[in-house]
Amino acid sequence: MTQSRHDWPSLVASRSDAPAPPRASAARIGVGGPVGSGKTALIEALIPALHRRGVDLAVVTNDLVTKEDAERLRRSGLIAPERVLAVEAGACPHTVIREDPTLNMAAGDDLEAAFPGLELVIFESGGDNLASTFSLDLVDWWIFVIDVAGGDDIPRKKGPGVLKSDLLVVNKTDLAPHVGVDLPRMLAEADAVRGGRPVVATNARSGAGVEDVADAIAHAVLFRE
Amino acid sequence: MLHIESVVGDRADPALHRRLHHLEHRHAVDEIVIPRADMDRRRLRVTTPKGEDVAIALPRDQKLFDGAVLYIDDERAIVVRAEVERWLRLQPSSIAEGIELGYHAGNLHWRVRFEGESLLIALEGPAEAYYARLDNLFAGRRIRSTLLTGSAAA
Ligand SMILES: Nc1nc2c(ncn2[C@@H]2O[C@H](COP(=O)(O)OP(=O)(O)OP(=O)(O)O)[C@@H](O)[C@H]2O)c(=O)[nH]1
Ligand SMILES: [Mg+2]
Repeated sequence: MTQSRHDWPSLVASRSDAPAPPRASAARIGVGGPVGSGKTALIEALIPALHRRGVDLAVVTNDLVTKEDAERLRRSGLIAPERVLAVEAGACPHTVIREDPTLNMAAGDDLEAAFPGLELVIFESGGDNLASTFSLDLVDWWIFVIDVAGGDDIPRKKGPGVLKSDLLVVNKTDLAPHVGVDLPRMLAEADAVRGGRPVVATNARSGAGVEDVADAIAHAVLFRE
Repeated sequence: MLHIESVVGDRADPALHRRLHHLEHRHAVDEIVIPRADMDRRRLRVTTPKGEDVAIALPRDQKLFDGAVLYIDDERAIVVRAEVERWLRLQPSSIAEGIELGYHAGNLHWRVRFEGESLLIALEGPAEAYYARLDNLFAGRRIRSTLLTGSAAA
């Protein structure tokens, strides 16, 4: 039952042929945040940035009842299509990243079994609200993506995603002038509510700020210097 | 950077305890205090009090625990100490208030424990933030509360 929801049966089948080598598993990170804040766009920008750092990676996407984001990543040409798995939440997206992350954990295990040198699995949560957080049974470290167009009052609202994430990404900085947002103030308020935990401003379209996100991942969970 | 890929054992284990005891005499045990919220991570990077950069990457089926020995040789050891957990004990004064409190605590995804007629809430930030939340939800009505630390609540 757990595995029938994956849409990449060959990987599931190869699991028993390729026993996991006796080493610590690949790092797992989460990317969460409100609907449309730019989670998939950020991952699309991160893939080449991480590839340039020599990181062997794969992605698991979570959508409500479709595989939209997985299909988009597979078609992107940025990553081998078989390195992208989709999990359908079927319910509130936070249930499969927090309350019962077993579907996602199994997808991560399948990817590790299929790609022995794998160093990093990125889990994109389905778009949710400001309260969504990841279970640390699923991921080692997680990013919360909000965007400028969602309003500069988002940090002040102190949602658990904004407060507890290991890295807060404020995306779509290019839109600030169009939506009347004072970006420096929004970033300062984000800093203030997060008590010293990092905040990065990005434009996932142009790639601005994406290197900083890749560096943070490399430092925190890949243990690059 | 020191890479740790599994836990050596529990400091309470007699053989390890003896070795640690010798090292302690020589001030050669480096004890890392890990915040409660980080104890569930399989991978994390910490700097020990003696200034060593430690990269922990445990297998998915292992977990850190208070007293986990991460490294030991004849010269030194590195041991985990879990930060003491703080709990807020809330004592509803009626069944209605208890139901209301349970509803809100669930909605807020607070980590809770039950103890007789009170609800214990694990504090993952300043207690004031939790009081402020409760004040909002209960429109100023006070719920009897006490602050507890880990050992008292355990
Ligand atoms: N202008 C601008 N548009 C962006 C940026 N990042 C993403 N977008 C656009 O915002 C829209 C949503 O981006 P997605 O990456 O699909 O967002 P998401 O968070 O993955 O969305 P869900 O998975 O549906 O919750 C798309 O039209 C993107 O092209 C950005 O930095 N600037
Ligand atoms: Mg998406």
